[in-house]
Amino acid sequence: MFKELLRAVKMHRIFIIQELKRMMEYKGDFLTGVIGFLISQVFNILFLSIIFSQIPTLIGWTFEEVLFIYGFSLIPKAIDHMFFDNLWAMGHFLVRKGEFDKYLTRPINPMFHVMAEKFQVDAFGELLVGILLIASALPNLTVEWSFIKVLLVIVAMLFASFIYTGIKIGTSAIAFWTKRSGNITYMFYMVNDFVKYPVDIYNNVVRSVLTYIIPFAFTSYFPALYFLTGENPLFNIGMTALVSVIVMTIGILIWNRGVKVYESAGS
Amino acid sequence: MIYVENLRKEFKKTVKEPGIKGSIKSFFKPQKEIIEVVKDISFEAEEGEILGFIGPNGAGKSTVIKMLTGILTPTSGSCIINGQNPQKNRKQYVKEIGVVFGQRTQLWWDLPLTETYTVLKEIYEVEDSAFKKRMDFLNEVLELEDFIKSPIRTLSLGQRMRADIAASLLHSPKVLFLDEPTIGLDVVVKDNIRRAITKINAEENTTVVLTTHDLEDIELLSKRIVMIDKGSKVFDGKISDLKSKYGQMRELAFVSDNQNVFDILDYQSKFKISDDDLIAEKDGLSHKVRFNSDAVPVGDMLAYTLSKIDVKDINVKDADIEEIIRRLYKEGVSDE
Amino acid sequence: MSRISKAGKKLRIYLPFVNAGVQEASTYRANWFFYILGDVIGCFVSFFVWEAVFISNGGESFMGFDKGDMVVYIFLTFLTNKLISGGGTYDIGEEVKDGTIAMRMIKPISYNSTFLFQELGNKLMEIGIIFIPLTAGVEVYRFILTDSLQFNAGRFFLYLFCCVFAYLINFFFNICFGFTAFIFKNLWGSNMLKNCIVGFLSGSVIPLAFFPDAMKNVLSLLPFASLSYTPVMVYMGIYSGSEMLFYIGLQIFWCLAFWLLSKLVWKAVVKHLCVQGG
Repeated sequence: MFKELLRAVKMHRIFIIQELKRMMEYKGDFLTGVIGFLISQVFNILFLSIIFSQIPTLIGWTFEEVLFIYGFSLIPKAIDHMFFDNLWAMGHFLVRKGEFDKYLTRPINPMFHVMAEKFQVDAFGELLVGILLIASALPNLTVEWSFIKVLLVIVAMLFASFIYTGIKIGTSAIAFWTKRSGNITYMFYMVNDFVKYPVDIYNNVVRSVLTYIIPFAFTSYFPALYFLTGENPLFNIGMTALVSVIVMTIGILIWNRGVKVYESAGS
Repeated sequence: MIYVENLRKEFKKTVKEPGIKGSIKSFFKPQKEIIEVVKDISFEAEEGEILGFIGPNGAGKSTVIKMLTGILTPTSGSCIINGQNPQKNRKQYVKEIGVVFGQRTQLWWDLPLTETYTVLKEIYEVEDSAFKKRMDFLNEVLELEDFIKSPIRTLSLGQRMRADIAASLLHSPKVLFLDEPTIGLDVVVKDNIRRAITKINAEENTTVVLTTHDLEDIELLSKRIVMIDKGSKVFDGKISDLKSKYGQMRELAFVSDNQNVFDILDYQSKFKISDDDLIAEKDGLSHKVRFNSDAVPVGDMLAYTLSKIDVKDINVKDADIEEIIRRLYKEGVSDE
Repeated sequence: MSRISKAGKKLRIYLPFVNAGVQEASTYRANWFFYILGDVIGCFVSFFVWEAVFISNGGESFMGFDKGDMVVYIFLTFLTNKLISGGGTYDIGEEVKDGTIAMRMIKPISYNSTFLFQELGNKLMEIGIIFIPLTAGVEVYRFILTDSLQFNAGRFFLYLFCCVFAYLINFFFNICFGFTAFIFKNLWGSNMLKNCIVGFLSGSVIPLAFFPDAMKNVLSLLPFASLSYTPVMVYMGIYSGSEMLFYIGLQIFWCLAFWLLSKLVWKAVVKHLCVQGG
């Protein structure tokens, strides 16, 4: 088990190096993606600042708190985006065009192979905005700092990124049955837009969905809440880890069932 | 080495009526249909054998190859290759096989070839020293030096195919699957690739399973063929057996400047022979008659033709394998 | 009469492209549906955020928009964007990148028209499945909110009229943009960059009415405001008669401008392809 993990890390490193080499070929081009992300986030922040120019708080949340949560939500998403972006290709064309064949003829886990094959630099845009937002919000927030707290939040971010990865694995695996499932993944990502904002500004139904059904609330709101208030680490952080494990497990189960019905393309 | 028993594969397919109305209808209520692409195929191959796997388009060749390589799970039946079940011990199994799909590359589009091989070396866990030796050998057999620094996307089709074959051999597989390895290549490159396959097979005793459209591939590479049509096996044996079994076809070729030669000859009514057993073609002055020598003895055919028309330059040939296969396919079709 | 039948014949050769669009949607039915659903969910995010804003504001209106206005604005902007958008950019980009664009050149029909008609098929599905139900939903919501029917058939038809121009502006703009794939290799990135800039300048992210006056005036003259902002303002009945005439005129102007530009770009591309080879 440990040996396999080590090998996976080694393989991933090799893929990343190759991807960086590849990018050097298309110099400068990848900046488009990074800038695209940056700008789209800047517009959203502008929108928030216009709103907050008219109202003091959004259902009790100050501008800085909202910015903090917004920034927080981007980081786990960026981590997943950076390392496991290639899963989108499953739902868009790998299965439909039969290109998944190649992964099945290689002696490493096909799921890992697909996930790790690409390293997505575009995600730096998200990561940068996330960090900047948090950094700019922090001076105006009264937060009690402690080593444990920072550590727990970083751990929570990693688990949170696996919530994204798990959802991507599960939804992209639907392509094994339907040939195309990229838009199912897309739909989940649109639901994700809710958790850029504190989820308790929404009504009960929306909040319950985001907590229990499509548990994106654990990718930002709950861990961020712990950081801001220091309250309830067992739920805010513990549940994030648990939910992450559950989502990942479900994703992998769907994938494993799907691979068995993979039909390739042509005949 | 390869044991395939009663292999079957079914696919579910959505059927759609033509036109806009059909499209809209299938949007709301898709109709499913089960199609049997591979029906009960069994065959074996020995270690070191080059097995030619042929059949017309849509016969199910690729589906069989994909089941043998562990990509598809058979609906029923089993295959044991190199002592393993491709579906059960997939990871272990694929370490000892090599796969090339001629229609698309397995390699990373934007990476230089050397980098690709380095990644594959890690994937297949090839030792450094073994890798170096292997690359030297593959370089020699497939002549990769000229383009080994270039990204795959810049290679010509022939170079890409050589690169793909080399990639599939990096880890010294015991079984090599080649799906249409010469498709779209020119004669020189085809020859190059065939020589490489023969050499690898001879030096390393690699078992090769080869699907192709190109019958020359088969004639030059393999002693044995399995032919399938519409998902069923229609022939399994040596090429020489195939020739003697279905080889009664002969080709009579002659040059004549008579007008309407075939009207004068009217073989069909003279020999009471069906269209399947006799095909006549004309191209300018040269005429070709392919006929079944069981139905009409060669002597009778010659004597009759010469008695009716003036002929310059006449000869009779054995039908080539292409003709045999064309005939076999035709029988396959007429079975239904 | 013969003219009509001639035109009919001319249109008939495009029928297969309409069919292809419908077929594309129906072949990957579930996938298509989820895409639309994803976008609708995106709208609901805005809706719920605005609801929170109105609760926090405590009042009936926010910068001149009341709750009903906001709902109409969010959903109609979304629907208008759907209605006038085309997969064109990405497709053209892909075709430019892999060289299949050369195939479009050898077909004996207009290059632009093939895209246009392929999309018409897709549009028909979209209108039936999301536009009608969502618009109805919005109007019902407004009816419950205000206790009176706000829907105006005349304005609705004017809105549709504006949408046609908006569609064409968007279409020609996208063709021009699609050809930038010759320069940008990162299609996904450049598309996103474009979408978010266009989204911002057209008022889809923040209503143009929320901007400072000087900025608002400049933005409303740019072609992007002609995309979704103008039709939605017409639907909401915010423009006066003369304003309406002015903005529709502006739409027509931009439509012609981008049409000409796309012709020029296409000519340059053909030249480029001939010199470079597919």
